[in-house]
Amino acid sequence: MTPTVEIEGDVGRVVLSGQFDFSAHREFRQVCETLIADPSVKEVLVDFQNVNYLDSSALGMLLLLKEKIGVANKALALVNCRDTVKQVLEIACFGKIFTIR
Amino acid sequence: MKILVVDDTEAVLLLISRFVEALGHVAIVARDGAEALATWRRDRPDLVLMDMMMPVMSGPEAAIAIKEEAGESWVPVVFVTGIGEENRLAEAIERGGDGYINKPVNFRVLEAKLKAFDRTLELNRKVREQSAKLADYYDRAEEEKRVVRHLMEQMVNAERLYDPQLDYWLTPAESLSGDLIAAARTPGQSLYVLLADGIGHGLTAALNVLPLTQPFYSMTEKGYAISDILTEMNNKVRQVLPVGRFVCVVLIAIDEANGCVDVWNGGMPAVQLIDADGTARHLWKSSHLPLGIVPTEAMDVIPERYYLDGPGTVLAYSDGLIEARSPVGEAFGAQRLLDLIARAQPKSWMGDVQQALAEHLDGELHHDDISLIMAHCGLPRPTPVRGAMRDGAMVPIRLPSQIEPEWRYSMQLGASELRHINTVPFMMSFINKVLGQHESQSDVFLILTELFVNALDHGVLGLDSSIKREPDGIEQYLVERSHRLAALNSGFVEIDLSGLHIEGESYLHVVVKDSGTGFDASTWLETDLATAGGLCGRGIALVRSLCATVFYRGSGNEVHAYYRVRE
Repeated sequence: MTPTVEIEGDVGRVVLSGQFDFSAHREFRQVCETLIADPSVKEVLVDFQNVNYLDSSALGMLLLLKEKIGVANKALALVNCRDTVKQVLEIACFGKIFTIR
Repeated sequence: MKILVVDDTEAVLLLISRFVEALGHVAIVARDGAEALATWRRDRPDLVLMDMMMPVMSGPEAAIAIKEEAGESWVPVVFVTGIGEENRLAEAIERGGDGYINKPVNFRVLEAKLKAFDRTLELNRKVREQSAKLADYYDRAEEEKRVVRHLMEQMVNAERLYDPQLDYWLTPAESLSGDLIAAARTPGQSLYVLLADGIGHGLTAALNVLPLTQPFYSMTEKGYAISDILTEMNNKVRQVLPVGRFVCVVLIAIDEANGCVDVWNGGMPAVQLIDADGTARHLWKSSHLPLGIVPTEAMDVIPERYYLDGPGTVLAYSDGLIEARSPVGEAFGAQRLLDLIARAQPKSWMGDVQQALAEHLDGELHHDDISLIMAHCGLPRPTPVRGAMRDGAMVPIRLPSQIEPEWRYSMQLGASELRHINTVPFMMSFINKVLGQHESQSDVFLILTELFVNALDHGVLGLDSSIKREPDGIEQYLVERSHRLAALNSGFVEIDLSGLHIEGESYLHVVVKDSGTGFDASTWLETDLATAGGLCGRGIALVRSLCATVFYRGSGNEVHAYYRVRE
């Protein structure tokens, strides 16, 4: 899976696809760091539209991202979470610490 | 490079040697195949330039011998051939030669050939170096795993897991498991079961769950509530794991004496209560974040309680089980598990699930650790409560009017202490020292817990246990209890323990006094355990069944219990 980045105004969107697991670690970190370093981006959206599966190490990556976004004083939301993705996020109760739309 | 030049014609030998030296290499010479082999053994050259036709031993024969002896290290053998030797040359190259150069030898071509071999030799050296390094890493990793596995086995002692009420199954995806199962009994004989799943699997996952075992075992043995244990585990995990690492946890407390099951589920698949006939009776969904993500102050550590109304089995598992994929990519699924259980006898559940999973995987490997717990509860027992039928337990003692205690331990807790401190485990550490390690401990734990809870709930907080009889009453009762406790700003509970010696027997005298208005104890004291089947009044009946004598003083806000210590 190769994450892609779309920037509209002050919103940066990371579009993921396929399996979101540890193998995506490096690319995911890189695109996220690009967005965090971009001063014009005020909010980062992680788009799960095309993700059909995510595992616990993906949850770990999201926690790391949340930490970094917090340090950079930007907003973060998880969007377009469907089916399996929604289920996994619900079981982990991530709704308590993430904005999920 | 050090190059071995082999030729039986002195002129050719000399010419090639000069060429080689002119190119900056070192030349050593031999005049036939046998001499070449002997020289190779002695000087270990990097490359061999060799004639084909020679006396004693031919070039191709010498090449085969050298290759055989060189084993894994690569020694290129280049044949120097004349016109018309093509067939023999092809055969020689097939059997181990690495290249050829035509006679008469052209200086430029030789230079280029040697450079090419030098490059390949360098590459070969690097590969061998790296594979040696890799092998070294592998050995070290294996050794580390061995140490961690040993550590895990010590900390997750399988013998400790043995409990007649518990069936469990754990099968790691790698040699180390990131799933953890732990089980222990409190002094009051509640069964606590922990199921944890660290991120990923293998070594790092195993390290993630390791910090949980110590608080779980030590606090369970002291009789702490699961909320206290969760608080401590979250602190531990936050303290030792880096950001982005967390542990999904299910903590189960089965309290047979009070007929209830408490479950706290943070990030694990739903825990189920299954009837004896296999139907799902209750569901504890994950309603909390896994441990290690938020600070303990921000966590809700209150478990969800369910009162048993018959025999059942608490079923918990890690996502590795339901996500195990068949060769065509289909997940095992929670429904398949429940269907299986609905069809079979409880005795064969564990075996049936294992078999069904093996059939489902059909030889495929599972990629995540798989764990499954079945904790049986609510089974009818030979006696309603441990020790109730014990000889002499209910025979009242004659209390001498004046008696000097051998020791005394008393304390008073005010409002703020009552809000924050779980008192009974503290007292138990003292009791354990005084009474020593034997069966009486669990009786004393039960007595202290019941009397303390009564004093706090009904005395200080003024809760009426008849609320519990209403539909949803237990939930309502617990919510009201936590509200009143949080708002508590006055009141006290006094606990006084002393050791007595009466007629040659050791007794523990427990006095619990509270700031409440008291109650009419006479009817409660008549209730027997056998008849106190409901949700209230069991506490006093339980204490009565364990103690020699129980009576109330004053307005009913001061209870005295005499327990005969079993030697």
